[in-house]
Amino acid sequence: MPKHALGTHGPVEDLFEGYATGPWWDEMLEAPSAPRKVSLGLHETLRALSATDLEERCAERDRSFRDRGITFSLSGEERPFPLDPVPRLVSAAEWEVIETGVAQRVRALEMFLSDVYGRGEIFADRIVPRRLVATSRHFHRAAAGVEPPNGVRIHVSGIDLVRDASGEFRVLEDNLRIPSGVSYVVENRRTMARVFPELFVSHRVRPVADYASHLLAALQAASPRGARGDPTVVVLTPGVHNAAYFEHSFLARQMGVELVEGRDLVCRHNTLYMRTTSGEERVDVVYRRIDDDFLDPLHFRPDSLLGCAGLLNAARAGNVTIANAVGNGVADDKLAYTYVPDLVGYYLGERPILPNVPTYRLEEPEQLEHVLERIGELVLKPVDASGGYGLFIGPQASDEETAAISVAIRASPRSWVAQEVVLLSTVPTKVGSHLEPRHVDLRPFAINDGERVWVLPGGLTRVALPRGSLVVNSSQGGGSKDTWVLAGDEHTSAAREGDDAERTAAAALAEIPAYGSGPDLGPATGGAEQQQQQQQQGPGPPCSAG
Amino acid sequence: MSWRIATRHISTYRYSSPVSASYNEARMTPVASHRQAVLESHVSVRPVAPALRYVDYWSTTVHAFDIHEPHDDLVVTASSVVETTPAEPLDRDVTWAALGDPAVRDRYVELLEPTAYAPLEPELAELSRAVAAHEAPADAVDALCAWIRSAMRYEPGTTQVSTSALEAWRQGGGVCQDFAHVALVLLRNLGIPARYTSGYLHPMADAPVGETVNGASHAWVEVFLGAWQPVDPTNGDPVGERHVTVARGRDYADVSPLHGLYHGGTLESLEVTVELTRLA
Amino acid sequence: MLSRIAESLFWVGRYLERAEDTARILDVQIHQLLEDAASDEAVASRALLSVMGIPETGGAALELGRVTALLAFDTSQPSSIVSSIVGARESARGIRETISSELWECLNATYVALDQRVATARAIGPHAFFRFAKFVKERVAIAAGIADATMSRDDGWRFLVLGRSLERVDMTARLLGVRLSLPESMSDWVTTLRCCSAHEAYLRTYHGTVDAARSTEFLLLDRLFPRSAYFALATAESCLSELDPDRGRLGPEDEARRVLGRARAALEYRRIGELLDGLPTRLTSLQRSCSEASSAVAARYFHREPDLEWRAEIAPDRADLAPAAAAGRAR
Repeated sequence: MPKHALGTHGPVEDLFEGYATGPWWDEMLEAPSAPRKVSLGLHETLRALSATDLEERCAERDRSFRDRGITFSLSGEERPFPLDPVPRLVSAAEWEVIETGVAQRVRALEMFLSDVYGRGEIFADRIVPRRLVATSRHFHRAAAGVEPPNGVRIHVSGIDLVRDASGEFRVLEDNLRIPSGVSYVVENRRTMARVFPELFVSHRVRPVADYASHLLAALQAASPRGARGDPTVVVLTPGVHNAAYFEHSFLARQMGVELVEGRDLVCRHNTLYMRTTSGEERVDVVYRRIDDDFLDPLHFRPDSLLGCAGLLNAARAGNVTIANAVGNGVADDKLAYTYVPDLVGYYLGERPILPNVPTYRLEEPEQLEHVLERIGELVLKPVDASGGYGLFIGPQASDEETAAISVAIRASPRSWVAQEVVLLSTVPTKVGSHLEPRHVDLRPFAINDGERVWVLPGGLTRVALPRGSLVVNSSQGGGSKDTWVLAGDEHTSAAREGDDAERTAAAALAEIPAYGSGPDLGPATGGAEQQQQQQQQGPGPPCSAG
Repeated sequence: MSWRIATRHISTYRYSSPVSASYNEARMTPVASHRQAVLESHVSVRPVAPALRYVDYWSTTVHAFDIHEPHDDLVVTASSVVETTPAEPLDRDVTWAALGDPAVRDRYVELLEPTAYAPLEPELAELSRAVAAHEAPADAVDALCAWIRSAMRYEPGTTQVSTSALEAWRQGGGVCQDFAHVALVLLRNLGIPARYTSGYLHPMADAPVGETVNGASHAWVEVFLGAWQPVDPTNGDPVGERHVTVARGRDYADVSPLHGLYHGGTLESLEVTVELTRLA
Repeated sequence: MLSRIAESLFWVGRYLERAEDTARILDVQIHQLLEDAASDEAVASRALLSVMGIPETGGAALELGRVTALLAFDTSQPSSIVSSIVGARESARGIRETISSELWECLNATYVALDQRVATARAIGPHAFFRFAKFVKERVAIAAGIADATMSRDDGWRFLVLGRSLERVDMTARLLGVRLSLPESMSDWVTTLRCCSAHEAYLRTYHGTVDAARSTEFLLLDRLFPRSAYFALATAESCLSELDPDRGRLGPEDEARRVLGRARAALEYRRIGELLDGLPTRLTSLQRSCSEASSAVAARYFHREPDLEWRAEIAPDRADLAPAAAAGRAR
């Protein structure tokens, strides 16, 4: 196909040709050829692009990802992270709702966890049944009495949001254990800036590159010795075979701290050390990317090769901080999710800024009956699972599947929740040589340093690539988009001042022996398996359908 | 009349080759309660290692220690002096309705749910109803304990530390740990919150003061009848002066006296002695 | 720095050097065989295999294609070029946050391109090996250049250079070994020098004909040529002394330094005539020194823990429960 010259009315081959809107919320277009106000500029720029031009830029994008090793493992194979070339825009006003709503939620969940592992007042006041916690697989009694030095348990969280047909953001899921994906947020942005520099000229996009410095500050603030003692922070990874290894190494490098594996650590008399070439060096804060179950073989799985024996008691003794805290999973399973609006009311005396998706608890008999009657219209999710696994989508299920799930939820109602289907919003997405609507969700990341909950202005927008699919998940054929939070007036001036200050600061700092066998690449196969098994809270996170 | 009892619990682990590192938690310190005062308690370890002392979720005092020098044997010695009180009769006034109150059931949900050692088993569940469902809760407790003693033989050596209530019941016998686990299944099934209790039992009802005897670890249960009250399903005796309470939990897994990990070496032998001396 | 990271950097250095040197040796040997019709392919192949420490599996006729496949492409041979590149990249992958992004990208891009390169080289046969060898030499050179330009001169850098230097000494010894194991008729010293990229430097130094004594002297002893055994030994020694500066008055306490220092002295103060006599023994001893130094460095700095296998401490057995409970029941 010949390349057409750009004209004032746009090229002949319009990337948006045949683009359909529907009953869902499209983030860019109110109706075909009628962009929303926030997207006017982006829409204009895209219309001026030819398919060939877009193709070339995508090739550049792929090369950049592959050479930099920005990949995720799918069934043991490394693939470049799938980034769609069209960004998702969030206006300043929309972002303010998300930012305050996410922060509110995290504050309430922090208080809940502190209560659960402390006095249990919320149970005594009968807001939440003790049963919710006592029957949770993630409730770790061994964590009772482990007091985080600055009171923070949810140092990092990822709150998954979806946007319904009316344009309202709703929370789909909380990730309070080891939410992942933030490295892709930063790398997606870096790549977009190289591939589409002109878009950044015409938009004022709030930066995401300073995530790591916020994270480091929050981790240092969590140190038992306080932030002033220049605490030693490490990132604990299961190892190179873990799907999120790229992210672990990314965060360690960006923070300038050591990336350690379990075998680099040793606990001695309730103090944590790492083995270095000059002996053992004390560690104050462990940002761990290993599941609770594998963290400390003394308290959890005794066969774990990934963790460090004695770590939990070192934290209990107040000699090291584990971030995120052990046992957070009790507050982020899908059953606990149904109580979060109550937690916001109980602990904060506030109304939730971001509503939940309507969800039914199947342990309550009336709700179970109600759900069984309407099962063909609902989504059923296993309480514990993530990665979109085990999901049942009523409208798409066969009769056999429906019958099987009915039996399953009757047999084990604690293991499931039912949700109304949410028709996720769409964003134009490159499919072949043109753009089509694809459903998306959004995972903003929040960091709690004990003083305030900071929400990264941006987030991981995940895309369901098959047409009509509502399951956005990289382990289930999903992609991602760069998420642009546009600066409001206050941010532009504030940001400019900040930039100036930084610039000034920057200016001021002016027989033939056999071959050796190679380094120890970690525990052999068994270890690799455990590394892969680690719970991934994204970037192929729990399904977002419904 | 209350007793004052001195306890000395010595565990000696011998390894065939040196152990290079070991991490352990000892749950061997008697618990203070309204029926037991702890006057002294001490846990020591050889090779010498500093311990972190903390109170766990179940209110049990834990000594956590780790050893990094190579060692061929590990000796853990727990000593204490406690004052125990005579048995109290079960509270006969509590009703099934009171126990069935959703607030009570939710408060003690963990002690009503099945566990690995005390699993839900339809056969046992049915038996528990047949034996005791028509009685008041306190009478049901008595009836169930009596029934266990009639249905199970006390037979040391026939079960292991890992045997569940179900396995012990099927084979018709076991030791105090098994009796306690079977009792937990039956009691919880009727809706009576019940917890596993470990400690020591002085073997003599009329123990002379000042004489040290070889005692042993023992296990019984506590039931919630408006308040927590102990019963001993193994021997049917009231739980009183002779029982020293150490730890409580959902089952044996929550109260295991020594729990740990080591590497290098293999365990060759384990020797445990419990010395009990009535002091007053 | 973390012991594991130090160890990985050490091996990135060794693997890259091994990939490059193997590529050089193969390149030159193949070239020479093609040029010189008189050469015996089987003899040359056998010499190559033995000096690279690969046991000759009997049966199939030894021909250059098979030897190339073994030494260059065989992923089951730990010392093949492909294995070395994969090893360097794997070692770097585990320490990505400590090396510069550019160095990682270079190693990763080399790895990513490898399959295609190998497929092409295999499809076309030994002749196309030259292009493959050039690719490997260039990529290693780029990696070395990036490391040089982007890495702080801290302990990490020292472990990288230490690994590279030890491997270089070892490979130079192996190369001379190839030369010695070939019949006089088949190999000229020019080839040997070219394997080390030393031919031109040699000519500039000696302005004349290439002979055995001078070539050996140049490859083992030259103070200025960076691929000579002496130069690499001295570099390794200086890395070690920077890692652990002398404190006492009795000289180095570090075992690796002692081993390397002795090896260097054994070369340095020998007369040229003596150097050629008993060369095979001397080469073997040089390789042994590298191996000993490598072990000493590992023991001192890498603190590799034996694979941890935890056993559960069993709880006191319940046999001891019997007396009390039995007594209770007996009454």
